[in-house]
Amino acid sequence: MNAGKIYFEDVDLGDEVGPVERIVTDEQVIEFTQVWGREEGPTRFTSPEKARSEGLPEAIVPGAMNIAIMSQLITAWSPTVRLRKLDVVFRSPVLHNRPLTLRGMITDKGVVDGDPQIECDVTMENEEGTPNVIGKAVVSLPVRE
Amino acid sequence: MFIDLHTHSVSSDDSRATVEQYVKWVGVLRRKRYRIDGFVLTEHRKFDFDKDYSALAAANDVLIMKGSELDTNMGHFLVYGVTEALTSALDFSNVSMDALDLVKAADETGAIALPAHPGRFGIGLCEFADSGADLRSIAAAEGLNGSNRPGEQERAEDLIRRLGVPATGGSDAHLVSAIGKCMTSFENQVLTETDLVRELRSGAFAPVTLDDTI
Repeated sequence: MNAGKIYFEDVDLGDEVGPVERIVTDEQVIEFTQVWGREEGPTRFTSPEKARSEGLPEAIVPGAMNIAIMSQLITAWSPTVRLRKLDVVFRSPVLHNRPLTLRGMITDKGVVDGDPQIECDVTMENEEGTPNVIGKAVVSLPVRE
Repeated sequence: MFIDLHTHSVSSDDSRATVEQYVKWVGVLRRKRYRIDGFVLTEHRKFDFDKDYSALAAANDVLIMKGSELDTNMGHFLVYGVTEALTSALDFSNVSMDALDLVKAADETGAIALPAHPGRFGIGLCEFADSGADLRSIAAAEGLNGSNRPGEQERAEDLIRRLGVPATGGSDAHLVSAIGKCMTSFENQVLTETDLVRELRSGAFAPVTLDDTI
């Protein structure tokens, strides 16, 4: 995924970031919730039974973890990027152990208060192509010396 | 003319695209030789009387019109040609509004209401079409929706065939780069919301994808 050092001058509107394929496993979710420390006992994130009792099809990936995964799409793009802001909308539950595709597309570019920035649409889709999470990232990129 | 009849700006709570960014993206699409003449902002459960995009539209040669996407007891409906008479007659924030009352009120006030993404599971007209309701007052339906999930397109096409109405197209964009993904191709010129309602009632249009415009 890492494309090397990317500079402000290198990118233009319509350029893509990714795609990146991910699968979030049961073990990764359990590990995340343990670090997160906000949930105790079986929850909709770790227990399929609990999730089904709440009307969900299966255990789901926590929203905070989805945001973290979405942010990795940007931060793994290049060591030169700085993620300024990530604003997402949850469209449908993200299930464990399913292929996910993360994509970005640069939609705006400019210098804001002296900081060269780009804006990027970001999406997380399931294997059917249904967007689970969509959003917008604001990213700083350095200019070439 | 190619017009995206279904878009959401940040005025809708689930969109992250500004109108200015949509206009900029239309420029990107045009540089790639796609054809897109304009779009309609169909914000959820509201109509933005106070927003005026005429200067932005003129400066960029992009047609920007306003409409609404309303929640009803028979799924989501797109409304074009919204007037104060219509917003006075109906509470746009009412998520269980009677769909057929909406269609009738739209007809009576010079607007038009048609089912959005009718094949959508849960919130498309397909879910309610076999309820026995008389749907003959529906004049058109959204045939192509850029956010359709697997199976929804086929359900929409089947319902539209059964209704015997013409089909529109819209991207249902909530992000900048989604605008224009699906559009409606009009045989005649559309420059205003009044023109849009007239043409939607004429049936002289067809749904298209962005790739169809090259």
